[in-house]
Amino acid sequence: MGDKEKEPVLEDDAMGSCSAWGNFEDDDVMQQQCSIQDDEAKKFPYVGDKEPLSSLAAEYQSGSPILLEKIKVLDEQYAAIRRTRGDGNCFFRGFMFSYLEHILESQDNAEIDRVKANVERSRKALQTLGYAELTFEDFFTLFLEQLEDVIQGKETSISHEELVLRSRDQSVSDYVVMFFRFVTSAEIQKRSEFFEPFIMGLTNTTVEQFCKSAVEPMGEESDHVHITSLSDALGIPIRVVYLDRSSCDTGGVSVNHHDFIPVATDLPNASGSTEKNNPFITLLYRPGHYDILYPKGG
Amino acid sequence: MQASRARLFKEYKEVQREKTADPDIQLVCDDSNIFKWTALIKGPSETPYEGGVFQLAFSVPEQYPLQPPQVRFLTKIFHPNVHFKTGEICLDILKNAWSPAWTLQSVCRAIIALMAHPEPDSPLNCDSGNLLRSGDVRGYQSMARMYTRLAAMPKKG
Repeated sequence: MGDKEKEPVLEDDAMGSCSAWGNFEDDDVMQQQCSIQDDEAKKFPYVGDKEPLSSLAAEYQSGSPILLEKIKVLDEQYAAIRRTRGDGNCFFRGFMFSYLEHILESQDNAEIDRVKANVERSRKALQTLGYAELTFEDFFTLFLEQLEDVIQGKETSISHEELVLRSRDQSVSDYVVMFFRFVTSAEIQKRSEFFEPFIMGLTNTTVEQFCKSAVEPMGEESDHVHITSLSDALGIPIRVVYLDRSSCDTGGVSVNHHDFIPVATDLPNASGSTEKNNPFITLLYRPGHYDILYPKGG
Repeated sequence: MQASRARLFKEYKEVQREKTADPDIQLVCDDSNIFKWTALIKGPSETPYEGGVFQLAFSVPEQYPLQPPQVRFLTKIFHPNVHFKTGEICLDILKNAWSPAWTLQSVCRAIIALMAHPEPDSPLNCDSGNLLRSGDVRGYQSMARMYTRLAAMPKKG
């Protein structure tokens, strides 16, 4: 934006016909950027349909042999993939769908109570950090509504089809993404001493600046810091499977994964659950993007 | 649309409740349109804008608060990050660093902070930016002060 007009070169009526606000160069740029992103995004919904894993192989048909080998390995363990839109919010959208789908299918009331308690803890953390209630409460309310609605047997209960539709509806999906961004930001700031070294390594900014610029704004991509803190804050384990070109020297290919296991802020024994270390959310990471994976026999 | 209206209404109530909390900012909603606001902000002390009162116009999009409000100066101001003709403001939180954690009130505070701490390396007003970048603080300050007197202070009778 260095070379802005110094001399007013535009005719007055030319400006007037543009918009009542005159000649907004920055806004023009932003609007154009938005419209390009929108056009790209419209080609794919926030959350796609469940596809067989073969559709992943098809993408790399003439691509890297290492990737094709790895997809074969994945094929042994995973049955399907559900893609998300690549708009910088894919981790959160994938997480949202995967979690709500799990609750809808499991009807695990103990898990719902547990997560609700953690949501309230996040709400308190934001208040303590000095966030005005009005800035985040709508996002919290909307998420809690979704959580209620996937419980069956009520007037407001929703089907799996409806969950898919809602996940594709901007007014639901974006609000839930924003809810997760608030929760993530609160957790990072609450434990800023723990996260500081990781954040310094990523961006060389303060924890607060990082949250303001790389967590809270929509469209900012998620890194291991985001995943760790969301997983910790809500107490939900997440498995991330990495599909990249790295290979090991021994010749055979293997697919790495990393389990994000929440630090024990509350012990899960209340529900007698042993699944704590066994993530029910699995995301496929390809550099810059997250999709949802479905294990076989799940 | 409904969500943005509800949010703006909450901000409106908060502004009414906290009217005295921030004497440097006077934020007013248009009588007939909750998506249009104006603000009067006081130029920060120990800056060339001290003593001036600056008017801002807010236009809030239907996607608010997922998208930022558009804000511009209605009062003429000589500042590296404000377009001299249109009043457009170059501030990251009004662009890609926006998040719903901001409110119209806190945006005003951020703009006051920008007035006190210009960023000459991302100028919308190159003349102003160049003065600061070349180290001519006195030149910048006297230009800024002159426009503050001309445009942001009540005319002496």
